[in-house]
Amino acid sequence: MSVLEYVANGLVFSSIIVLASIGLSLVYSIADFANFAHGDTMTVGAYASLVTFGVVGGLGGSILGLPYGFFVALVAGIAVAALVAVITHRVIYEPLDASSIGLLITSIGVAFVYRSVLRLGFGSDFTEFDITLLRPIEWLIPYGIRMTRHDVAIVVSAAILVTALHLVLQYTDLGRKMRATADNPSLARVSGIRTARVKLWMWVIGAGLAGAGGVFLGLYAQISPRMGFNILLVVFAAVILGGIGSVYGAMLGGFLIGMINQLTPLLTDIGIPIGIEYANAIAFVIMVAVLLVRPSGIAGEGTT
Amino acid sequence: MTDDTSSTDSANTADRRGGILGALRNPGDYFGSLRRAEQGVLVFVVGLLALLAYGVVSGGLGPAYFTYLVGLVGMYILLTFGLNVQWGYTGLINFSVAAFFGLGAYGTALLTADSSPIAGQFNPLVGLLVGLVLAAIVAVIIGIPTLRLRADYLAIASLGLAEVVRLIVLNEQDLTNGSAGVRAIPGFFEGWPLLETFPQTMPGLEIDTILWETVVLQSSFWQGLLNVALVTVFVAVTFLVLRRAHQSPWGRVLRTIRSDEDLAEALGKDTYAFKMQAFVLGSIIMALAGVFYAHLNLYVSPGDFEPINTFYIWIAVILGGSGSNRGAMLGGFVVIAIREGTRFLGDILPATFPIGLPDMLSIVETTYATIIGNFASTRLLAVGVIIILVMRFRPEGVLPPQHELIWPGTVDSSGTERPERGVRDAKTGDSQ
Amino acid sequence: MTNDDNHPVTRRNLLKVGGAGLALTAGCVSQTDEETTTTTTSGGNGGDTTTQQTTTQESGPYQIGMVNSLTGSLSAFGERNKRGKELALEDVNAVGIGGRELEILSEDSQSTAQAGVSAAQKLVNQNNVPFVIGAVGSGVSLAIYESVIQSTDVVQLSQNSTSPDLTNYPGLLRMSPTGSSQSSALAEIIADDGYDSVAITWINNDYGQGITKAFESAWDGDVAYNQSHDQGQSSYSSVVSQMANSGADAWLFITYQPEFTTMAQEAYSNGYEAQFYGADSVKGPKVISNTPEGSLDGMKVVAPSAAVDQDNYKSFASRFEDAYGTTPTSWSAFAYDCVVNAALSIATADDFTGAALQETVRDVTRPEGQKVYTFQEAMDVLGDGGSASDIDYEGVSGPINFDENGDPVGYLEIFTVENHEYSSTGFISG
Repeated sequence: MSVLEYVANGLVFSSIIVLASIGLSLVYSIADFANFAHGDTMTVGAYASLVTFGVVGGLGGSILGLPYGFFVALVAGIAVAALVAVITHRVIYEPLDASSIGLLITSIGVAFVYRSVLRLGFGSDFTEFDITLLRPIEWLIPYGIRMTRHDVAIVVSAAILVTALHLVLQYTDLGRKMRATADNPSLARVSGIRTARVKLWMWVIGAGLAGAGGVFLGLYAQISPRMGFNILLVVFAAVILGGIGSVYGAMLGGFLIGMINQLTPLLTDIGIPIGIEYANAIAFVIMVAVLLVRPSGIAGEGTT
Repeated sequence: MTDDTSSTDSANTADRRGGILGALRNPGDYFGSLRRAEQGVLVFVVGLLALLAYGVVSGGLGPAYFTYLVGLVGMYILLTFGLNVQWGYTGLINFSVAAFFGLGAYGTALLTADSSPIAGQFNPLVGLLVGLVLAAIVAVIIGIPTLRLRADYLAIASLGLAEVVRLIVLNEQDLTNGSAGVRAIPGFFEGWPLLETFPQTMPGLEIDTILWETVVLQSSFWQGLLNVALVTVFVAVTFLVLRRAHQSPWGRVLRTIRSDEDLAEALGKDTYAFKMQAFVLGSIIMALAGVFYAHLNLYVSPGDFEPINTFYIWIAVILGGSGSNRGAMLGGFVVIAIREGTRFLGDILPATFPIGLPDMLSIVETTYATIIGNFASTRLLAVGVIIILVMRFRPEGVLPPQHELIWPGTVDSSGTERPERGVRDAKTGDSQ
Repeated sequence: MTNDDNHPVTRRNLLKVGGAGLALTAGCVSQTDEETTTTTTSGGNGGDTTTQQTTTQESGPYQIGMVNSLTGSLSAFGERNKRGKELALEDVNAVGIGGRELEILSEDSQSTAQAGVSAAQKLVNQNNVPFVIGAVGSGVSLAIYESVIQSTDVVQLSQNSTSPDLTNYPGLLRMSPTGSSQSSALAEIIADDGYDSVAITWINNDYGQGITKAFESAWDGDVAYNQSHDQGQSSYSSVVSQMANSGADAWLFITYQPEFTTMAQEAYSNGYEAQFYGADSVKGPKVISNTPEGSLDGMKVVAPSAAVDQDNYKSFASRFEDAYGTTPTSWSAFAYDCVVNAALSIATADDFTGAALQETVRDVTRPEGQKVYTFQEAMDVLGDGGSASDIDYEGVSGPINFDENGDPVGYLEIFTVENHEYSSTGFISG
């Protein structure tokens, strides 16, 4: 029953990718450039929460095997990632009178700065959260599913965050404005929406979600300065698959890419000789195929 | 009537400069006619070369190592030329530079090395050919899906496909030796009648510069000199070809595509075909750099395909000046200065902050120590900051293309001299 | 009108200056009296085997080079080497070599071959060192040897490389024993434990490839799974799941600590149980501290060992603990011995050139001489004019005794994880 096992792994990995994809898609649609520093924003969030967790500790009690202190650290990670992104936006991106290409290239520089500062501060080795590892959930094992409560926590937390975002987008004023700005910035501005402020909120939400993704990735695997960049291209693949400009598309794309990535071992099981070391390569090829066949992705609007 | 001074001015200066020959004929004029940025760069480059030369004669810089550095500079210059064709001329954001560099290197390595898993022990000239052809083929393969995309999609897609190439090279051990890399690559001149043994047959020389140390030039130096000569030939040929291409009708179409693709389409040009040609040409040049690298380093590994190498070249092109070959050369210098120079900085700068500071400022000391102690990270930080600064303050680069676009022969050399007053002034007179 | 009348930089002036400069140098150029032998070149910088003229010191410290993984995936080893080197330098310079000190110029390989070759280029061509201690990664050592060292007479002694491939290069010495002995030992242990089927995963580089190949030829039983994995990934859950599905109960890991830690954690989180075995690089304190209690119990690791019973090792270990607060690993011991070996080689050589050092570097540890256990002791025996074969340096890592391929005789130690700690459960002499 190893298929279910791969599916379960895929579910957890997708949660992380979905969180990162939403942020990237938001930036793409509202600030209109491909933010290559997005992966390193995840890393920033992860390290911030690591530091916080080290300071705050367990705080007694735990949910799903994760101490309360972890959730405090999660919030800290989200906040710091958002703060760093906002500062970068104000100091670097906003004053830059550049095209989306220029911003793209600048974001590469920003990515390097994030990563090198983290390396200087924390060294280039991997670290971990100081949380005990758990055994898989007993009653799932007969079904061939091996998930620990931490994995469940990751999926549940991601679901909560995504739902919260959905509620914000659909039912709040800010959400309406964000959707309008994403759709047609000039029209939005003309109709009185303060697009500058919307942009700010977009950075907060996008980077915050990325930070959360980074924290969960750190919990799921390890924390290291390269973690974000390693996953960046996979996130791009997810965003493109889902369709740039659509947050819901990004969620779907993230889910699909995450699942496909973890289902790769099935190929060799069936007999196709593509090993798991090509899991990421498959995502990239899918991305290019999407760009060729249907550049707007599954749910995105048509591109100009 | 439009003010004609600017075009007259540039016509004069273009003529006056007359390229390198003009510089030799009349250095003073040449220097005076340069823009300020160009003057600054010329001073910088000449100063750097003088510093290096001083280093060699004073014993601070070993002659063989000096030639190695110059070889690396040449290699980076080739890479920036290649990217310049794609980005500078045509506006293609190509993040797969490392892939073509690696393909050139692996193409020749797999054919000429003793330890190659597929072939081996062919002449390096065959390796050169294969490397270039391989890069051209892969360029077409990568280009077909990506060149129709808009710019930022092209960036992401090219990066993704470059990663696919890297993963294939890393994992197909039967073809490429996987992560072990390919060793025992022969030098480029193996099998050539005179040049193969040139380093041995040249006598060792001791040059006793009166003021400084004795400089010893041995076979390692002569070998290095051969490599420098090789890369100089590559660079010179590429430079001439590109200059010709840039000023040709083909180049004009590329520039139109860069500034406004729709206009080019409207004029009836098959932009896709032109972009593909530029893409392939650029990739071949990058592969040429890769071939040189393989025969310089005598070792290639999948690490040569890492994306960071792509981004270094991008910095060189952006910093140097998109679209300008001279800018590309400057960029190459700067990148080498960053990559290799920081190695020396680590030797020169003291490990701890030299001045004792009060306790409150101890954070300065720890920061300094961390920065000096972790040069790989500091280098990355420097690169990131440079990108941001350049994009913020001088996005066109230090030496954007200017006079290059004018073919000297097209300008009437008997053009009017620069008048002392502007034309408009002359016409209206002093009546204010 | 341009005012070039004020510019003295005319062509005529340039020629004058240039000519004067050339004339000046003309009288100062002379030939070195080196013998040039024409050999077929295999490229690289320096294509013959003449003696490396040292433009360095007649006095002042002896300078040798070291290429170490100060950053990158092998940085843990780099740190250990640095500590061993520092202790060795203390010991050597407390006595001195003919009144002069030993200085080591250390360069970072960043755990990659490319950077390692650059570092070696600088050491050999710029600093003109006749002796290079390097490197950690097997691929790095090999690349340095082939690109830089092979065509010169510089001595290269790798401190930590264990890939069996290095045996094919007799000119490349190493202080740690070859991994093929580890592989045979592992094959024996797994068979003795009663398993006839094993699942292997190995890191995708020279080290992993070499050790795995050697294991495959030593192993008689069935190989149920044999897959490589890349360095530095954040998740290896697919590998772990596949190993579980392969049906083998013995799992062999030939990889580095960060990667193994991830795999061990994932095996634990997935509830997999199997008997783990590992090659040398999976063992380390970070692995223990980052895996849950009981997850590794029973795991057996084979690693090169230092000569833990010897007195010189014991005093080395206690000094190490005083200085750095932890017990040393065998890797630090190897680095220590590299430095001492180099120092002894310099002390007994005719001059400070690569060719002369090649003559002595192996002899100082050959069994023919008088056994000495510390640098001080060796210098006492040598006195004023001793030669290399007078002494047999027995290092803190073992007797050394390089064979014709440049490999040392080594000890292996078998560690078993008990109560979530490594305990030594046996020795094998290689």
